[in-house]
Amino acid sequence: MKFLKWNQLAHVGEQALGQALGHVNVLAGRVMEGTLRLGVTGLRRSGKTVFVTSLIDNLIRGGRLPFMDVIAANRFLAARLRAGPDRTSPRFSYEKYLAALTASPPHWPAATTGVSQLRLALRFLPTSPLRRSIQPMATLNLDVIDYPGEWLMDLPMLNQSYRDWSTHTLELTEHQPRRQLGARWLHWLSTVTPDLRPDESLAREGAALYTDYLHACRRSQSNLSLVQPGRFIEPGELAGTPLLTFCPLPPGNGEPRAHSLWGLMNERFEAYKSMVVRRFFVEHFARLDRQIVLVDVLGMLNAGPAALYDMRMALTACLEAFHHGRGGWLSRLTGHQIDRVLFAATKADHVAASQHTNMRNLLDMLVSEARNAIRFEGATVDTLALAAVKCTETVTTEHQGRKLACIQGTPLGRQRATVLFPGSIPDGPDLFPENVSQPYRFLDFEPPAGVGRDGRGLPNIRLDQALNFLLGDHLA
Amino acid sequence: MTNTSYQDMGRPASAWQAPVELDLHHPDPAASPAASAAAGSAGHQRNDTAGLVALAAWPQWSWAVPAFLGGLATLVLVALAFDATDLMGRSFASSSVLGVLVTVVLAMTVGTAIKLALDEMISIRRLRHIDSLRAEADSLARANGHGSALAFADTLGDFYAGRADLAPALHALGHTVNDAHSDAEVIALIDRQVLSALDQRAYRCVLMASRDTAIATALSPSAALDVAIVLWRNLKLVREVATLYGARPGQFGSWRLMRRMLANLAVAGVTDSVGHVAIDALGGSLAAAISTRLGQGMINGLLTARIGIAAMTLCRPVGFSADNKPNLRRIRSELMSVPKEVL
Repeated sequence: MKFLKWNQLAHVGEQALGQALGHVNVLAGRVMEGTLRLGVTGLRRSGKTVFVTSLIDNLIRGGRLPFMDVIAANRFLAARLRAGPDRTSPRFSYEKYLAALTASPPHWPAATTGVSQLRLALRFLPTSPLRRSIQPMATLNLDVIDYPGEWLMDLPMLNQSYRDWSTHTLELTEHQPRRQLGARWLHWLSTVTPDLRPDESLAREGAALYTDYLHACRRSQSNLSLVQPGRFIEPGELAGTPLLTFCPLPPGNGEPRAHSLWGLMNERFEAYKSMVVRRFFVEHFARLDRQIVLVDVLGMLNAGPAALYDMRMALTACLEAFHHGRGGWLSRLTGHQIDRVLFAATKADHVAASQHTNMRNLLDMLVSEARNAIRFEGATVDTLALAAVKCTETVTTEHQGRKLACIQGTPLGRQRATVLFPGSIPDGPDLFPENVSQPYRFLDFEPPAGVGRDGRGLPNIRLDQALNFLLGDHLA
Repeated sequence: MTNTSYQDMGRPASAWQAPVELDLHHPDPAASPAASAAAGSAGHQRNDTAGLVALAAWPQWSWAVPAFLGGLATLVLVALAFDATDLMGRSFASSSVLGVLVTVVLAMTVGTAIKLALDEMISIRRLRHIDSLRAEADSLARANGHGSALAFADTLGDFYAGRADLAPALHALGHTVNDAHSDAEVIALIDRQVLSALDQRAYRCVLMASRDTAIATALSPSAALDVAIVLWRNLKLVREVATLYGARPGQFGSWRLMRRMLANLAVAGVTDSVGHVAIDALGGSLAAAISTRLGQGMINGLLTARIGIAAMTLCRPVGFSADNKPNLRRIRSELMSVPKEVL
């Protein structure tokens, strides 16, 4: 009898021990998992949402990424979606976006209106024998967030005072086409002085006119990028709050009175900075490890020299807010630094494949300042021409006795596929020839019908090379 | 402007082409991805003088030498023919059975001689083909072009058509390569999807051969035997590696390959710089302190490995790129364990 009891007890103990060891094992696995935060940076309409969707889909299916070393070497096991680390922010609805792209007829996801995030767990076999002896398979958690590109333009404001920002914004407005777009707001400005009584209705009027001006900038032919503050365009959950009722005022000489229109606007600007911009930055951008900057080069060429200049300025300004530097064990203690940055010219499928070299060279030229600044900080930088979802095929046709590298696809808003020569990208700095009024007319395309139905992941151009640059060393 | 190549279309000023839409249903047979692949292939230049082949080129003989050799060979052949007919006549004269027997043996000898010569010619042609493939891949990877590499991939597919072990890789390559890849990218994909598996197998061959020579020279009692072993094993290794990459050399062909490799080793130091030889030798000297024979074995093993790697470099239809160059480090560490095994 006694013996039986002992036996039972031993059995229970064994079970408990087994469970405990199992827990320890799981815990150890968790601790050993690496985490990588990828910042997908890009101005409005540069294709962030589609990029993130394609990235997730391709990593889950893994059939179209031959240039990723971990996949080429057959060390990649699988990827799975997990809940994001931040329980309060919404999940990136990958399934919804993928459904939009693969629907019949397929369509592009609508513009992003809020922040969302997702964690993708990548399982792979490590290369180093030491690591493999401890951990036969390793896991890397890849965190990606998606947000409206407008909000990115708030980042340069972090380092500016209300006075600096007002001066800067008003200087910008002095040039065409902004001067014309903001005529009504400028007229309102001429009727007020900063020393006026702090009147709520006046502030609302000014903010409303300024918001109209920003919307006009966005919608205009020139497709301007430097549009601040971003929440005026895409307010998210802040629509109608007093945080969004301010606008730049011409700074007078000397210090304006505290109890004035200037004082009111100044206070709201500072509140906007600390409660909206800084929060957004700290929650999502302060701890990035890798960054990809998506640039819609073709859209800018379509819109003309003003847009190109504006985009360049906007990009340089908002990249200054990030912490770049050389990663190392010390950076783990002193805070996160972005040690690899990839500049990518998106929508590479909108030109023939033979143009990709020129496209990349053009991007090199456009981001040279930002790139040098980041390199100076010690981070590694590369540039690439990519397409997150490949919508066209490159074909060769004969046109008036010339062989032309054309593309075949369905232009946006049409039903039928067509072959067209979209124009070529010059390989020199002379982008806009004098005698041609509108030298570029790159069309947007519909996602091809039946895309992604083969289960190998969304077709893409150089997504694998981008991922290999961004994640490759963490998947070794 | 009919022969405008892909690269030229980026330059605007002289021949500005405005954006234009062409009708898809226009009867234009060229408007297909396959045609686009073929269109660019005419423009590229073959760079035969580049790389190892040029380094190993033998000095040109004067016209007198081939003329002399040809004359000599003709004379010998004529003499042999006379002798053969004479032999046949004499054997028929002595007995008809003997005559038939001699005739049959004679026919067999002539037939096999012709077959051997043909085999050698085919093998040499295959080696030349590999050389030209490598030169083409090299120029494609450098030229920054687009569209021509698909034709190269087809050529390589034809070259490896009979290989069952490569069929899955070639099939997968057809799926991964698309019209957006540049020439350099297609070459890189061929390199990692098709040839890297061959590299692994070739590498194993080299490792085995280098261990064999190391152990055999360490154990062999005489220097003459050493030379014979090293020579035989190296020749076998070269044939193995060449066969793996599809060169299939005959007897004469592998001697030729060997000669070219020796020239390469002497001229260029294919795999490592001269400094590495010193390091290899120094590494060997540790073991040599224990036994001279073992040290010699190690050095012979390393030389075999170098010859094997040179053979890999010469037989690969696409040249090694910067990130997958074979190195001696692994073989060296592997060889360090040989003394233990032998002792």
